[in-house]
Amino acid sequence: MKPTEYIYLTPMPVRIWHWLNALGIVTLCITGLQIRFPEYVNIFGTYKAAIRLHNTAGIVVSISYFLWLFYYMFVTRSLAKLYVPNLEDIKRGFLRQALFYCFYYFKGSPNPHHETPDNKFNPLQKAGYLVIMLVLLPLVIFTGILIMNVAPLRELILVAGGIKMLVSAHYLIACSFLAFLFVHVYLATMGHTPFAHFKPMWTGWEESEGHH
Amino acid sequence: MNMQTCRLMSYLIMLVLSVVSVAAATGAENGKCLSCHGSKDIVGKGGERLYVDEAKFAATTHAMIGCTSCHEGVTPGHPQDGFRPPKARCKECHSAIQSEYAQSLHGSKAACNDCHNPHTVKKPLSVSGDDINAQCAKCHGTQKIITSHAKWLPQADLHMDAIPCITCHTGSKNYVITLYIQDRPEKKKHADFKVATYEELARLVPAGKDIKSLVDKNGDGSISLQELRKFNIEARRKDMRLWGMMTPEVVTHSYQILDNRWDCSFCHAAGPKTMQTSYVAFPDQNGTYSRVAVEKGAVLDLLYGTPDFYMMGSTRSTPLNIVGALILAGGLMVPIGHGTFRFLTRKNRKEH
Repeated sequence: MKPTEYIYLTPMPVRIWHWLNALGIVTLCITGLQIRFPEYVNIFGTYKAAIRLHNTAGIVVSISYFLWLFYYMFVTRSLAKLYVPNLEDIKRGFLRQALFYCFYYFKGSPNPHHETPDNKFNPLQKAGYLVIMLVLLPLVIFTGILIMNVAPLRELILVAGGIKMLVSAHYLIACSFLAFLFVHVYLATMGHTPFAHFKPMWTGWEESEGHH
Repeated sequence: MNMQTCRLMSYLIMLVLSVVSVAAATGAENGKCLSCHGSKDIVGKGGERLYVDEAKFAATTHAMIGCTSCHEGVTPGHPQDGFRPPKARCKECHSAIQSEYAQSLHGSKAACNDCHNPHTVKKPLSVSGDDINAQCAKCHGTQKIITSHAKWLPQADLHMDAIPCITCHTGSKNYVITLYIQDRPEKKKHADFKVATYEELARLVPAGKDIKSLVDKNGDGSISLQELRKFNIEARRKDMRLWGMMTPEVVTHSYQILDNRWDCSFCHAAGPKTMQTSYVAFPDQNGTYSRVAVEKGAVLDLLYGTPDFYMMGSTRSTPLNIVGALILAGGLMVPIGHGTFRFLTRKNRKEH
């Protein structure tokens, strides 16, 4: 029997960031639900408690985001390599990966993408995370900071199109994050065993044998 | 025409004539007083308190009852005889308000005319939210109030800008959203927005046209959502905006700290149904405000109904809720749809 090989896929700073972010985003979604629909949802006792927790979680997620950005841009300098789809991904990778998820996976074919520490994400993951990490998350942080400080940042709010524009964008991006969460957790169960992709996010090591 | 109708008609004519003649007499009598008291020169003779701003006084209910109703006993030799005419006490006419006020927290702190100058006093609905707060700020400094509220109230500065103090600190009732047109004073690019004056708005409409036509385009006396949206889009170009405040329709003088106002859900969890009524308040020449009703539910409009007014929880837009729900449903479709096929084809993967 071939011995199981492990690769160190997720360094500790990334794992800490990931779980802090996960906790923060789930907290933001639940408190956000109470803030938008207070007459139907009351999980945190009072409206003020939901607001305070939402603001705190928002600040934690924002700081953690900038640490993540700093880590990938200046420490590992691998942001572009990991998150920006290359020419090959655009030409063939997207279609190949989409066909795998929508068709070949059901036939039992192996995953065309093989994870390595330098190439952790398949082309669709790269594109998805690029939009989430470099477009949606900065936007939700920006709109959140403005909504948290309406009076002092009023001029900026007017430039951005008014408070309703910001609240609407903040809410729709939040819905997109929750929708992403459903997809993210589901796709994480598609390793060679349902928990194969969860383990490296906790321990850092992923089984290399029998990759799918 | 029978005898009874004739008699009724004559009574009516007499009643109208008597009201008109009393008003005319009051006007003539007021005119006599104001010939001296309406001139700024009087300030030098006996102090600011003797001066009455004629235009502002004319807008008060007190002008209708006449100067001598409150200042009885003005002697024929006034003012040379040195006799100072007495002043009526407010409770002589406003006894119910006086007793309500006396029992309130504020009762022992300030007299009626510390807040209400009887010569300029306006009806509650003719005063802007900013004017009400400016009155309170004479004793309760704005910055100090923001600091004390910030100890428990998130975004205290925003709340102070958007709510007249009496909304929370009296038993006033029936809250509506009143929208005020704001601009930058003297068109300075970075000046803070302030409620626009009549003169500033009058410059924006053709001579002789009512300033209400700035928003009420068709002049039908009510503002549709479409008119409101159009104004907001135009206002952006003119560096103006509509600023909403939550104001009470029924005002009381029962100053107090109400327990339920500590709970944010008093306003924020009231639900969109309670935030359907809104008005645009236009300044008049005499410093009062006239309101024009806005189409029901305008403050709940997605973007351009009230682009700068949003109350967390209460003024959310239903179409936006639906779009959000569709995004979530789209996300859920992946695990449900893909998961179903995955389950049905599980044998294929076991073979590999």
